[in-house]
Amino acid sequence: MYTLTEDERDVLQELMNVAYGNATAVVADMLDAFASLSIPKISIIQTEQLLETFDTLKSTSYFFSTQAFSGEFNGESAFFINKESAENLAKHLELESPEDIDDAILELTNVLTSSLTTKLAEEMDTAVSFSLPSISQIPLAEMHDVVTFKHYSQVIVIDTDLNFKDQQINGKIFILTKDESIQWLKTKLNTILELLI
Amino acid sequence: MAQNETQHDSRTLDINKKVVENIDNGILVLDDSLKIHHFNRWLELHTNMKEEDVSGKQLDALFTNINTKTLIRKIKTALRLHSPTFYTASTSRYLIPIKVNKLTGTSFEYMQQDVSIIPFNLEQNLVALIITDQTNMANTNALLHSHILKIKELNTELIKERDTIDKKVLFLKLNKERKISDLSQALLEQIYYDKEELLGLDYLHRERYNLDIGLQKKILDALLEKRVFEYEEKTQTAHGEEIIFKSSLVPEYNAYGEYLGTIIFRENITDAKHLAQTQEKVLATSRSAAMGEMLSMIAHQWRQPLSLINTIMATLKIKTQLNKLDTETMYSSFEKIESTTKYLSETIDDFRDYFKPNKLASEFLLSELFDNSIFFLKDEMVQQGIAYEVNIPQDLHIYTYKNELIQSIINIIKNSVDAFYEVESTKKYIKVKVTELDSHLAISIEDNAGGIEQETLKKVFEPYFSTKSNNGTGLGLYMCYAIITEHLKGHIVMQSKNGTTTTLLELPYKLIQGEHS
Repeated sequence: MYTLTEDERDVLQELMNVAYGNATAVVADMLDAFASLSIPKISIIQTEQLLETFDTLKSTSYFFSTQAFSGEFNGESAFFINKESAENLAKHLELESPEDIDDAILELTNVLTSSLTTKLAEEMDTAVSFSLPSISQIPLAEMHDVVTFKHYSQVIVIDTDLNFKDQQINGKIFILTKDESIQWLKTKLNTILELLI
Repeated sequence: MAQNETQHDSRTLDINKKVVENIDNGILVLDDSLKIHHFNRWLELHTNMKEEDVSGKQLDALFTNINTKTLIRKIKTALRLHSPTFYTASTSRYLIPIKVNKLTGTSFEYMQQDVSIIPFNLEQNLVALIITDQTNMANTNALLHSHILKIKELNTELIKERDTIDKKVLFLKLNKERKISDLSQALLEQIYYDKEELLGLDYLHRERYNLDIGLQKKILDALLEKRVFEYEEKTQTAHGEEIIFKSSLVPEYNAYGEYLGTIIFRENITDAKHLAQTQEKVLATSRSAAMGEMLSMIAHQWRQPLSLINTIMATLKIKTQLNKLDTETMYSSFEKIESTTKYLSETIDDFRDYFKPNKLASEFLLSELFDNSIFFLKDEMVQQGIAYEVNIPQDLHIYTYKNELIQSIINIIKNSVDAFYEVESTKKYIKVKVTELDSHLAISIEDNAGGIEQETLKKVFEPYFSTKSNNGTGLGLYMCYAIITEHLKGHIVMQSKNGTTTTLLELPYKLIQGEHS
């Protein structure tokens, strides 16, 4: 089991902030509106805790999308957005059909995953490629049945809020990785740390 | 060196071109205003359009289904992100309308497409769209989706059924360690416990004071051997009331045949037990009533012989007083008295025999039963002028509890005889007829003693019901009913019309031994 030291967490937070700055700009472009992303909160948790975290997401119905990424640093990102936020997003983009809403959520997932991992990979001198994201709408009660989560031992949780001037869209993104990726990440973070000192 | 590089470049270009031409994907190069820059062979073949015809044209003008705003947004995002954006078949279905030419096994008219929008040339704002046929996958997903819906539906039904079972069926579950792992709502309501108070407790340990040692061992053996086992158990409710359950152990297995534990299904038989006890009391009362009946019949039988003795004694007395008693008269009188007292004694023996329940069934002639065994009733019938007609196959045997059957027959015929006291009739009769059927034999006993009203008929087999004004206990026919149905495993019904009453008995030819309770 891996945990991040305070220094490692600081570096990761710094990298994430840069990545998020990038993401914010893209999201703003995409949505053609002034958007801000709250400073992400980063933690590494066990998968069991992840399921508990899902339980604390009080809203009854969540849209849930995932996107796998490959390379030296690999895993899957999971993006959660509640019904109300999804509807706000659709309203903003003037989308009407449910398929279009799903498409917009996938786009947001893709933008967030790409900006985060690409930037992160870039800073850490590696590259990632992305699979197509997929979406499902599942009640939180069934979240425990999502078997794919069980393939991951630890999860980097990046918790952020997207805020728009006129309407709130709240989403949470979780980067799910296996032990070897976290080990790789720790090594990279330490290389960066050594360069800084 | 430079030449090599050029060669390498041109070769790469050649490979790229060949791959783009032959790949099983649509490849389309667009700028951020949706103008077409490249249209590969795959697209030409699938859309029936030539690259030279579409080149430089607006994609959304060629294919009007395309949402211009969304596509431009995706292209701009890809260029801005330096990373691909996507359309997925699951949400967007398709970008370029291509008719599916496979007719079977598909529920889609148009090819379902995944589209990756890849930044291609950042200076010229060019992107490449790579289109992948996902129709098969979409078909599979659609099928899966319909199955999932079906499963959910079934699951809802199952949950509903489980709820109903929980509310209606009394059961508790034991895990492999014989600890209580679940209890149904229905059971909890009967024993007034909260589930939490009982969960995790060792079943046998908890019931150790309620089950005797022998039964505890049998239950443990059944649990260990994963056997079905039935037993009765007395237990206490949380309110301290005693409750009797008929329990059945049923081992529980999962779909893979692994033993999960044992379910104990329970049936509350407390009321039934109490009823059985009440029934026993009624039967005991009816036995004493039968004794009373017997005594009255003995008294009846004795009246005549006793008066005979009395007459002989009086004659002897007078003759003695007149000094006319000769030895011959004296001896013949003594002999008469002796034979009469012997007859009296035999009468008692006969009755006692008939009213003693048989331990074992035996085989006997039915005709004999209706002829000899009810001799005393025959006397009464003669006195009353009742014609007694018996129609029974001579050699018909029955294997049953003889005395119980005699008691019942006596009861029925005695009822008929008694009924004649209430009516004035010239042609009185009691007819007995026995018919041999395939599975059983049928006995009908008919009298013309006025019949019984329909309302009364419904109640004749109930305990303590009687129409006799003075000496009826109301237990005679109830006892008959109990004997015929429970001991002799037969049926009894009574019918009445046009002043006649018929009692019908159905009895097995051979009673299976061991059923006597």
